[in-house]
Amino acid sequence: MSLRHYTDAFQQLAVQLPSEERTAREASLQRFTQAGFPTRKLEDWRYTDLSALTDQSYALPSPATPDLSHLHLEAATAQIFVNGGDGAFTDTGREGGAVVALNAAFARNGLDLDIGPGQSLAQPLHVLTWTGHRTSAMTHLRHRIRLGANARATVIFHHAGEGAYLTTQVTDIDLGPGAQLTLYRVQDESAGSTHLAQSDVRLARDSVLDAISIDLGDGLARHDLNVHLDAPGAQAGLYGLYAPSGRAHVDNHTRIHHRAPHCGSREFFRGVVAGSARAVFNGKVVVHEQAVKTDSETRVANLLLSKTAEVYAKPELEIYNDDVKCAHGATFGQIDEDAVYYLRARGLEADVARALLTQAFAQQVIDRITHAPLRALVTRRFLERLPQGAMLETLL
Amino acid sequence: MNMLEIRNLHARVEGKDILKGIDLTIRAGEVHAIMGPNGSGKSTLSNVLAGREDYEITEGRVTFEGKDLLALPPETRACEGVFLSFQYPVEIPGVSNMVFLKAAINARRKHQGLPEIEAVDFLAWVKDRVKKMHMDIKVLQRGVNEGFSGGEKKRNEILQMLLLEPRLMILDETDSGLDIDALKIVAEGINTMRSPERATLLVTHYQRLLDYVKPDFVHVLAGGRIVKSGGPELAQELEARGYGWLDAA
Repeated sequence: MSLRHYTDAFQQLAVQLPSEERTAREASLQRFTQAGFPTRKLEDWRYTDLSALTDQSYALPSPATPDLSHLHLEAATAQIFVNGGDGAFTDTGREGGAVVALNAAFARNGLDLDIGPGQSLAQPLHVLTWTGHRTSAMTHLRHRIRLGANARATVIFHHAGEGAYLTTQVTDIDLGPGAQLTLYRVQDESAGSTHLAQSDVRLARDSVLDAISIDLGDGLARHDLNVHLDAPGAQAGLYGLYAPSGRAHVDNHTRIHHRAPHCGSREFFRGVVAGSARAVFNGKVVVHEQAVKTDSETRVANLLLSKTAEVYAKPELEIYNDDVKCAHGATFGQIDEDAVYYLRARGLEADVARALLTQAFAQQVIDRITHAPLRALVTRRFLERLPQGAMLETLL
Repeated sequence: MNMLEIRNLHARVEGKDILKGIDLTIRAGEVHAIMGPNGSGKSTLSNVLAGREDYEITEGRVTFEGKDLLALPPETRACEGVFLSFQYPVEIPGVSNMVFLKAAINARRKHQGLPEIEAVDFLAWVKDRVKKMHMDIKVLQRGVNEGFSGGEKKRNEILQMLLLEPRLMILDETDSGLDIDALKIVAEGINTMRSPERATLLVTHYQRLLDYVKPDFVHVLAGGRIVKSGGPELAQELEARGYGWLDAA
């Protein structure tokens, strides 16, 4: 195993850092090099192979000024991080696996949002990360969101880029009592990219999280979303659409920990898998002993658009008390050919009929997006990827 | 000119011969009824004409307004003016009736070289036809046939027919599952469409619908062939005597 390129890159970075930060980051780097990238021998990484990263050489990024106007979002305040941005290196990370350790060694500060008690964000925050470089580069960002009691915010993470690169994004979120966060994540990275992300959300009493995750990227993407329902009355809704095509690989791992009584969680993911793409969904709900009156449901449905598309979807439940209401289910299917015939018998071309049915399947998640400009952007990007999809845009 | 000519049509599905030599000519302005017992091939004939790809045509030909119908994919047949009212309309959750109807109408307009329909004109036109079918305007926002009762589905088929204004209307067991009120509404919809330029093929098991939509010709389909043809009085005879006497004849 050689992670030489990562340690070389770290040496370049370390000379720029004050000694205190350097020491903390050296510790993170050491944790990373000792663990190495997760291998498929680990149950949580069975279907996602990162072994190619070990010998990859990614340079530290340099500044760029790309034209990002096509990614502009109306009715939102933009915060843009090009090639990792120019944030400080003050955040020295925390416990976590190899990916978190790698991030902690290299990460610049990304979004740092602190909303005081009772305050609301005037309009959604559009956090755009964009990576693009002449040579393969890597960017690492660390984001934090803290909402005080009864505070409210909508944050849109939007990840895009060009060419070959590695990006890691680690996000820590704390919701105070009664706080409400709507969290969007749109992963639209390039075909040559590897996107590794982890988000941890802690919910206090009666706080509400709505997390809507849209994976449209063409590279390899993995997101670990860990939700901790730590106090009574907390509610989490996790929604997702993953639509890899070509040779894309997308892996969503969610963990919902019910640690207090009277909490609820809803999880609803849909996958549209085309070409030779592979999708992985693993949604685990852990109901701890003290979490009585837990109400939890996990549903994942998959539409396979080609014979070479693969999907591994598994909802899991671990329950340590018997006063709970928990349900889960997974489905896999193809486009209903009876419906295709019906639409064709009314004059729609076969490709248009299939695109319409595929779009209808995905729409059940897209409709969860209440921010209209974002919904339009996601719909457009989704349709662009379907044969004849662009034709549907005028219809919908 | 003959609108539809079926000559010696043989079709099979999953290796089983269903149609074994159908001959039928329909001229513009005519209403033909095809009656027959279950399993006689009625639905197969309807679907072969509409273009369902599960069927293999082993012999014979079908021309529609002079064109080789069997060479056309289902969507082209629809755009040329062939309409099948489905025996079992398909539920399509997530695709609203409104989007569906607009897509269907614009597909046909595109085929005819016409521009897309104006949104305002479309809405007014759809609303008028919805009212004609005694349907709730709210169905337009619902998914296509999603959660519809059997009767609602059949009415939705006729609504589509009123909007698409086909030249040849094939109605496959449109009367089945309808109560008497719904049957009258559906029949009225069909009669509205009767004109010297259009033809109708009613495929039915029972004579009931024929009380409201008077056919010019009645054919009996049995064992994949038309075994008897006649005027409207043949339908009454079938209602009175059943299909058994035809085997003996």
